[in-house]
Amino acid sequence: MATLRQAATSKLRAWAARRHGRDSLPIKINRRRVYILPTRFGVMLALVLVAMLVAGLNYNSNLGLGFAFLLTSIALVTMHHCNRNMLGLQVDVSTVTDAFAGRDATFEFVLRNESKVDRRDVEIRCLTGAAIRSVLARSSESVRVAVPVAQRGVVRIAQFELRTRYPFGWFHAWTYVQGSLTVYVAPAPEGRRALPPAAGAGSANSRSDVRGDDEFAGLRAYEPGVPLKHMAWKVLARGAEPAVRSYTVSAAQPEWLDWSLLEGQDTETRLAQLCLWVLESEAAQRVFGLRIPGREILPSRGAAHRFACLRALAAYGLAEAE
Amino acid sequence: MTRKSLSYEQLLAIFACLALALVAHVGALPVWVLAAVAVLGALRVLLGFRGRGAPSTVVRLSVAALTVAVLFLQFRTFNGLAAGTALLALMAGLKLFEAHNQRDIYIIALSIYFLSLSALLESDSFWLLAYLIVVCWLTSATLLRLTSTVPLPGWQSSLRYAGRILGQAIPLALAFWLFFPRLAGPLWQMPSDSGNATSGLSDSMSPGDISELALSDDVAFRVHFAGAAPPAQERYWRGPVLHDFDGRTWRQGRPAMLSAPRIVLQGPSYRYTLNLEPHAHNWIFALDWPARWDLPGGSLNGDFTLVQPGPVSRPIDVAATSYTHATQAQAPLGGNVRRHDTQPPPGNPRSVQLAQSLRDAHPDDLDYVHAVLDMFSQQAFYYTLTPPKLADDSVDEFLFDTKRGFCGHYASAFTVLMRAVHIPARVVTGYQGGTFNPFGDYWIVRQSDAHAWAEVWIAGSGWLRVDPTSAIAPSRVEHEASDTVRADEPLASRWQRRTPWLMETRLRLDALRQLWRERILLFDQDSQQHLLEWLNIPEPDAQKLVIVMTAVLALVFGWLTWQVRREVDAAPRELLLRAYARLCAKLADAGMPRLPHEGAEDYAERIARRRPDLGPVVGTLLRHYSRLRYAAAPARASVGHFDAAVRAFRPRSTPPDSRGS
Repeated sequence: MATLRQAATSKLRAWAARRHGRDSLPIKINRRRVYILPTRFGVMLALVLVAMLVAGLNYNSNLGLGFAFLLTSIALVTMHHCNRNMLGLQVDVSTVTDAFAGRDATFEFVLRNESKVDRRDVEIRCLTGAAIRSVLARSSESVRVAVPVAQRGVVRIAQFELRTRYPFGWFHAWTYVQGSLTVYVAPAPEGRRALPPAAGAGSANSRSDVRGDDEFAGLRAYEPGVPLKHMAWKVLARGAEPAVRSYTVSAAQPEWLDWSLLEGQDTETRLAQLCLWVLESEAAQRVFGLRIPGREILPSRGAAHRFACLRALAAYGLAEAE
Repeated sequence: MTRKSLSYEQLLAIFACLALALVAHVGALPVWVLAAVAVLGALRVLLGFRGRGAPSTVVRLSVAALTVAVLFLQFRTFNGLAAGTALLALMAGLKLFEAHNQRDIYIIALSIYFLSLSALLESDSFWLLAYLIVVCWLTSATLLRLTSTVPLPGWQSSLRYAGRILGQAIPLALAFWLFFPRLAGPLWQMPSDSGNATSGLSDSMSPGDISELALSDDVAFRVHFAGAAPPAQERYWRGPVLHDFDGRTWRQGRPAMLSAPRIVLQGPSYRYTLNLEPHAHNWIFALDWPARWDLPGGSLNGDFTLVQPGPVSRPIDVAATSYTHATQAQAPLGGNVRRHDTQPPPGNPRSVQLAQSLRDAHPDDLDYVHAVLDMFSQQAFYYTLTPPKLADDSVDEFLFDTKRGFCGHYASAFTVLMRAVHIPARVVTGYQGGTFNPFGDYWIVRQSDAHAWAEVWIAGSGWLRVDPTSAIAPSRVEHEASDTVRADEPLASRWQRRTPWLMETRLRLDALRQLWRERILLFDQDSQQHLLEWLNIPEPDAQKLVIVMTAVLALVFGWLTWQVRREVDAAPRELLLRAYARLCAKLADAGMPRLPHEGAEDYAERIARRRPDLGPVVGTLLRHYSRLRYAAAPARASVGHFDAAVRAFRPRSTPPDSRGS
């Protein structure tokens, strides 16, 4: 039974994906993509309604029939309201935060409700994660969905699902969104090695030097996680592709987190140790670079840099990397 | 789905709903079932309040087994409305007792819905229906709060939303109710739950005992006459005829089981519709003498009483025609009946003696009848509803000692005096008179209008109705005594009798009740046929009903859809932005894309410069846009105008002059 249901669900998902094509987020949910079916309780209610109808007819009771018809009508109206609870809702994914193997990757969805009615109990399902939230009239809510990820690598999510059982739990309306989300799952940060010392004279080079040496080094393409203050707004306003101003940090003695420092250990252990180092260095506000086979990330610091490093570690050795 | 444990509030709410639904069954269900549900529910809510879960499986199972077993011992069956309802109520209580997740609440809610329905199946009360709709509303609001997420809405908003859904469901329910084809008879016979006999006339009469009917204000039936109503002295509604007398109690006896003798109807005829309230027997209280009637299975029994095959357990309507007089000149009285109706009364020696002495003076039957009536009117006989109690020779005591009584006493004494001299006579019971309700053009006949009179067989003309009670002089009728003597009469009805406007209000309410009964309770196949005829649909049948129902439902559903769509429509501002985007796209197609940094005014200026042919139109549109865009709250209508103007706008991709010359 369960497998049958799973098979039907996956068929439906595939069909919906073909039918609606790829969605570019943010997306507004229109009625063509909302499906609705009774829940278990809805089926139970239907059976009770049939029994009520038969009883009313058999006792030739007009009041009994009236009550049965009223409940039937409530169920039908509820179907509309369940459907309505989804219609016109706008969905976006705001950011994807760090993810580490063995922990949860958190997706942050934004639900925007421009209409004058509250949308209650809207559930977002993404892989095995789910979160449920109400979005009041003319407001938006961010919903964090935690998806447990077991392994390091690149997790691509081609489809996620929005569903609701509001108002009475007799129906569930749902929709599939074909938005591609990619999450780089960095190795679990583990290891016993201490941070490698900075090349040269140690950390005496004060931070003020590093900050002072920040130089504008031109524009590069936008990528998620870049601080807002680095956005090249004027470029965007001209209608061109979003771009960021990049700065180089000419720190005199950067610290290199190097693959070769961890000779004699297997790949995953090395990656785990490097991941831990990245986090520690960043926490200590050091300037660091990452060197792994096939990839070298020049020394820098900040959220974007950290993100790039973790991404490199996540994608290491995988065919579809980058 | 999320399997959260239940909160105290959820348990309390569903318990309250269940209790409210069971209130509708008070009096119908065994008291211990109600008490058991109350205790089980209260215990569970208390456990919830303490933050604890449901009791252990052993406790739950033993409580369930015990209560269900007791229920079975009481009813011996789980079939039938009463037993089934009791079982369902008990199950709902047990489910609440073991409730630990949302699923349990859903099941209890379904039980509440079904319990509400079962209370309505054998009821005809508008107030009960209204009450149960409120219960249904509260239950739905409870369900609404079950999928609880942050922020949980307030109760007020849940009630409002559940009420809105209920309100939207009512037109749909009406369409269903009006057009869903009704059956002619039940699908299968349900075991009848007789035993909860309602009040009404009984099949015996003991003048020695005090009649309780006289104190009852309950309605026995209502009558609407198609033409004029017969005068009061002809409004006798015929019920059971009593033949057998044991000195104290009159009973029906065998003649009722014979078939009706042939009679010749005379006098004016009256067409009327009888709206009979349920009672414990099968008599239809037709006007004396019934000639035609529209009642499946209805027939006249040997006593000329209109009867149906089973008890009148539901309110029914009977259209009938009656004649005020009948003769049986040709047909002699059947030997069987004669034997019955001339049985000398047992005991009562003084009465027999009196009869014989009167008979000696009046050898003619009719003369003798008048002599007896004269005795009642001339001697000091009193009419009272609270006569002294009588012992075994009740007629002797009444005629010679107490001389006080109501219709039963007089009819009984009269019949005994007739039989004592071998004139066939019998007691007829039924109702007499009635109150006219001017607000509904019908007569109300109450239980207090119950009456007994007599019939004597006069050779050559047949049975003759004689009402000895009417012989009592009006001055000896103790009407007003009721105020002092009938202390058990409810205070309210005593007040009503004395206050004209209260009487009027009561009649108005009764007219409403009558309307409810006619239009709602007795709505059936015929009414549906009339409805279709009224809608000008030829040859109405069930199939056409279904078609009309579907059409009406589709209409109402379409209206609902439109409502819902309108609600989820984005605010006017969103529409405006969309329309603006459409305009820009059109202009882009015409070769004039808006630059990303360009505002509406700049854009209009540039277009006016480059494409003078489009300039004025585009200028108007874009100025319209800016006005709406920076208004505090653009009206939906003006945004709609803008949108329509944009849709109508079709720019040409090349200026006309570029290829002209």
